[in-house]
Amino acid sequence: MTKQKKIKALVLTGYGLNCDNETAYALTLAGADARRVHINALIDGSVSLDDFKILVFGGGFSWGDDHGAGVVQAVRMKHNIGEPIIRFVETGNLVMGICNGFQTIVNLGLLPGFDNNYQTRSLALTYNDCGNFRDDWVTLAIDETSPCVFTKDLTRLELPIRHGEGKFVGDSEVIARLHDDHQIACRYAMPDGAPADNQFPSNPNGSIADIAGICDPTGRVFGLMPHPEAFNHITNHPGWPRFKESIKRGRMTNADLPVTGIRMFENAVNYFA
Amino acid sequence: MPHRLEITLKSDLFDAEGQGICSKAADYFDISIDAVRTVHVITLDATLSPGQLETVRTEIFTNPVTQQSSYDPLPLAFDWCIWVGYRPGVKDNPGSTAVEAMEDVLKIRLAAGENVYTSRRYCLTGSRLTREEMELVARELLSNDIIQQVRVFSKDDWDPGHGIGFILPKVKLDHTPTVATVPMDSDAALQAVSDQRNLALNPNDIPVIRSYFNRPGVQAARQQAGLSDPTDVELEYISQARSDHCNHNTFRGIFRYTDGETGRTETIKSLFKTYIEAPTLTLKDQKDWVVSVLWDNAGVGRFDADHYYTITGETHNSPSNMEAYGGAITGIVGVYRDPLGTGLGSKLVMGSYGFCVGDRNYQGDLKPKLHPRRLLDGVIEGVRDGGNKSGIPTGFGQVTFHPGYMGKCLVFVTALGIMPATVCGRPSELKTTSPGELIVMCGGRVGKDGIHGVTASSETFSAHTPAGHVQIGDPYTQKKMHDFLLEARDQGLISFVTDNGGGGLSSSVGESALLSNGCEVWLDKVPLKYDGLDQWEIWVSESQERMTVAVTPEYIDRFMALSLRHAVESTVIGKYTDSGKLHITYNGATCAFVDMDLLKSGFPDWEFDALWLPPEQRGLYEPVIGEPDDFNALLLDLLARPNICSKEWITRQYDHEVQGGSVIKPLVGQDRDVYSDASVIRPVLRSKKGLVFSQALLPQYSAIDAYHMTACTIDEAVRRMVAVGGDPAHIGGVDNFCWPSIQYDPEKNPDGRFKAAQLVRSCRALADLCLAYGIPLLSGKDSMYVDGHLPGRYGASHKVSALETMQFSAVGVCEDSEKCVTMDVKCAGDRVYILGETRNELGASEYYDLFGYTGRNVPQVFPDKFGPVYDAVFSAIGQELAASVHGIYRGGLGVHLAMVAMAGNLGMDIDLSQVPADGVFRNDTLLFSESAGRLIVTVAPENKDAFEKICAAISWACIGTVTDSGVLSVTGLGRQPLISTPVAELKTAWKAPFQNLI
Repeated sequence: MTKQKKIKALVLTGYGLNCDNETAYALTLAGADARRVHINALIDGSVSLDDFKILVFGGGFSWGDDHGAGVVQAVRMKHNIGEPIIRFVETGNLVMGICNGFQTIVNLGLLPGFDNNYQTRSLALTYNDCGNFRDDWVTLAIDETSPCVFTKDLTRLELPIRHGEGKFVGDSEVIARLHDDHQIACRYAMPDGAPADNQFPSNPNGSIADIAGICDPTGRVFGLMPHPEAFNHITNHPGWPRFKESIKRGRMTNADLPVTGIRMFENAVNYFA
Repeated sequence: MPHRLEITLKSDLFDAEGQGICSKAADYFDISIDAVRTVHVITLDATLSPGQLETVRTEIFTNPVTQQSSYDPLPLAFDWCIWVGYRPGVKDNPGSTAVEAMEDVLKIRLAAGENVYTSRRYCLTGSRLTREEMELVARELLSNDIIQQVRVFSKDDWDPGHGIGFILPKVKLDHTPTVATVPMDSDAALQAVSDQRNLALNPNDIPVIRSYFNRPGVQAARQQAGLSDPTDVELEYISQARSDHCNHNTFRGIFRYTDGETGRTETIKSLFKTYIEAPTLTLKDQKDWVVSVLWDNAGVGRFDADHYYTITGETHNSPSNMEAYGGAITGIVGVYRDPLGTGLGSKLVMGSYGFCVGDRNYQGDLKPKLHPRRLLDGVIEGVRDGGNKSGIPTGFGQVTFHPGYMGKCLVFVTALGIMPATVCGRPSELKTTSPGELIVMCGGRVGKDGIHGVTASSETFSAHTPAGHVQIGDPYTQKKMHDFLLEARDQGLISFVTDNGGGGLSSSVGESALLSNGCEVWLDKVPLKYDGLDQWEIWVSESQERMTVAVTPEYIDRFMALSLRHAVESTVIGKYTDSGKLHITYNGATCAFVDMDLLKSGFPDWEFDALWLPPEQRGLYEPVIGEPDDFNALLLDLLARPNICSKEWITRQYDHEVQGGSVIKPLVGQDRDVYSDASVIRPVLRSKKGLVFSQALLPQYSAIDAYHMTACTIDEAVRRMVAVGGDPAHIGGVDNFCWPSIQYDPEKNPDGRFKAAQLVRSCRALADLCLAYGIPLLSGKDSMYVDGHLPGRYGASHKVSALETMQFSAVGVCEDSEKCVTMDVKCAGDRVYILGETRNELGASEYYDLFGYTGRNVPQVFPDKFGPVYDAVFSAIGQELAASVHGIYRGGLGVHLAMVAMAGNLGMDIDLSQVPADGVFRNDTLLFSESAGRLIVTVAPENKDAFEKICAAISWACIGTVTDSGVLSVTGLGRQPLISTPVAELKTAWKAPFQNLI
């Protein structure tokens, strides 16, 4: 059997980003050939996007989140490699923005990407209604009819959130269109999967329509506030010691264990299979 | 001409920050504000065209979806407007990133002297608000006068066209850097200079300093270098190096310890050598996992064959006490530089906090600079921003409230890192400097901030403490430097690395040059934030986010190129030599020329008298309390006490998931809302191995005896680690002492001798316990002078001293993190065991404190008995026999039974008559005694025999079962019902005190 060439994924690093190691690890677990690349290496041309199929804008505090989360990163990217990024999207590749990365690609205009327009800023992620940075686990309900590549075959997913500016806002027309076109790939939900209906802490930040993550109309650009890379192993889940006891006593089986966040990265890699 | 851009949220959007201000104003001052809108102000002091201004407004500074902005004052309605901006010279991080973004977008470089400043304007509405109230809110809630300036405008004062005007906090020093020489004709003259310059030289050091500079050989050499009398640079260098903070004079001092009971006196030559170094060196030989201790910025232990972990702990008390946010963020960001500067550099993988403050609801007469509520909020936020923005999980934390911390708060910060065992074939734990290597300063620039921070923390806080030593740490700049240095390390470009913390270059270069035996430093090369710093200021400034690195000339180009790639400023500022001299120049002229070994010889040790009076002699006795009959109410009240109750609002502000390796989080249980015993992470994601970490703080026991305080604190940290699955054979320790002044003075410190005795006893316990449990001290620090003089009701001031406090951190490794256990009970029907004996040890307990008693029977530690208990727990967890394990800590058995039940949301039936006890005949003692060495374990019925077999040699009993009744039921010694309370009700009471805080 010939060894299949691995899908190459680029994870941005530098300028205060801080989830690059585990994001690259998650992509590796998913079968990708993941590389952490400094933003400046992309800007100065020593690394080219052309060599990659997946681009991840990861979590962290780029430029300290001064002037709004992800704002300065988006400005720097747009003014230095804006066109190559749009070309990257238009040529059928995948872009994922996690937390600070989601904030960045929304500010870049890669999302919502209506009508193939990847440059218009029409959404925002702003300060949590609770008034503070918050670390907790949330339940996500997935829109199974979404074109989103990353959430394929998922119905529900539990992931950690860790942010101060995750409240998703936009004009009602934009939100309605996102909804109608099934671009709202994941919403915050109650533990049983029912809509969170803006109830804290199931909806941790006050996002309109419980929006946790959206994709572009093609489903190839995806951004979300929760961190799938931080659920790379069952022991990341806050309930794992309880699951373990239940399994030992025959009250649940391994098949009942929650799906890890790696599934999102696998979906990305398998998209090219 | 400057331009002022105002940005605010669109009017239909909720202003969460404004809402926070309203609730804090109500909460802190009982001031009712209807609404607050926040305006971000960016003042652009630069020549820009209208087109350029519009570009930066729309492209960078205004979010089209959420914000509106204008170069004219925004016409927001208000009754009062408060403007808050930085004072000159205070680091304005958003101002710096604004410059960076503008230069990128406009493709320009700002000219010299041009800059961008950020500030805020708050528009407050409330028709009854008064100027007095607004000034209080401005001063106490929205700003700190040490680093910020404010303006308060009423509706009528406000000129809608002029707005706040243009306030440019530009530093204008207009000063030519000058080296001063200091004549030292007499000891008194030098002492006068020391006082005048705030050098804090110890009077006993002064003759030594003078005699050095008067040596004929020294004078001749100095003459050749163009110097005569000592320069200010030299004296500052000596002052920094000799400060208690850097040199640990207290722990290296001579103690004459007298036992007031026996009258016997003994002399301890050095607490550090006797009680810390000696046991650790003994244990280092026994424990092959100890890699490097007692010399570097952090201790090093083996994680696995290919990785080492590093650990250290610090405090940042004095600065936090003055400016809570700035002090705390600088503390956490600062301690993160220690593992980064350990060996050839380690990656940061976890941090933790410990806060000790006064009562959050204090309403007494004393007026600390910051009310405990505001102080606590500030330190919480400082550590939050410092940790979260560094991308380092905050895996553990504790808060202790006690009136003694009103004088000075304690802010403990601890950092853990991981590094490869070898770097390009070199052992990563070793490093040195060699002649010819270049001295490179990386990271931030140097300003006036932080000058004399080290010497100020070595003094009791008073009105004369220079405010300039408060800084605001910048995690963003440091994170870039962290990433850069690790890459430089992996490429083999680093010979030596250390951080610039207390003492600045004076410490980092001064100490690293001891290895090569000399250096030349070119101070004019050091990049400055602004012109006009004197040479000595450059040398001792504690401007943050800087590391000092030794790089060989052949690698310097690669090193600088990599630095550029990471957008980190690095500058060659000198070279290491073997001249035996510390040689500092500025534009070619020598401003310091002293022997490297000057600090090594001749300085006298500090001396202390210590007088121990046992609790009996101090009149402590056990209170006379009849046994209560309402245990339900008693338990609910204990759960709601500040030192017991839930502080989830703090924990949730800290990112404990970043880096993707969390295994046991700070909050666990079915609703993930009860505190875990310890933290476990997988620092190497592809490995199952876990790094286990815990801490303990039990300062209350010092009210009886600091020996037992220390012993119990260490035991608790050990027990916490063991409870989640840590291996008792691999425990590294970190001691952090925070002590009130111990130098006796009949007027200023009349109980100094007693406090000195407490310190000696504490150190003895440290040595005794570390040897008994086999814990090498991987790292440790001390911070003395935890006292404050607070104004009181009649204009009198009152000295308030903290409890003698030692935080102990324990770190270890577990082979298989999938075997770790949490504290929540898991299944109804499980058997509830207690391991260890309960003794009549209510002294200084939470129970006694509820009634205002201290008592005398402080808990004691018996390692011979406890060690086998911990080994049994380790075996039970290893064999996967325990469904839950939890130590019994502050509050005793009753409180901790409630904890495990609340975490599991299950009931329990408990029979107190089964509890193994020694000399206990009362239910309240059984329930609330804080005897050390005990744990609660729940076990599935099918594992009963195997578990009990493991416990054969220790004290244990099955005291009940887990039930699905949802009720905690406890029967007493006479089998009578004592407690029957729904677990949900317990949880409500436990969460109630801070339930409104998020």
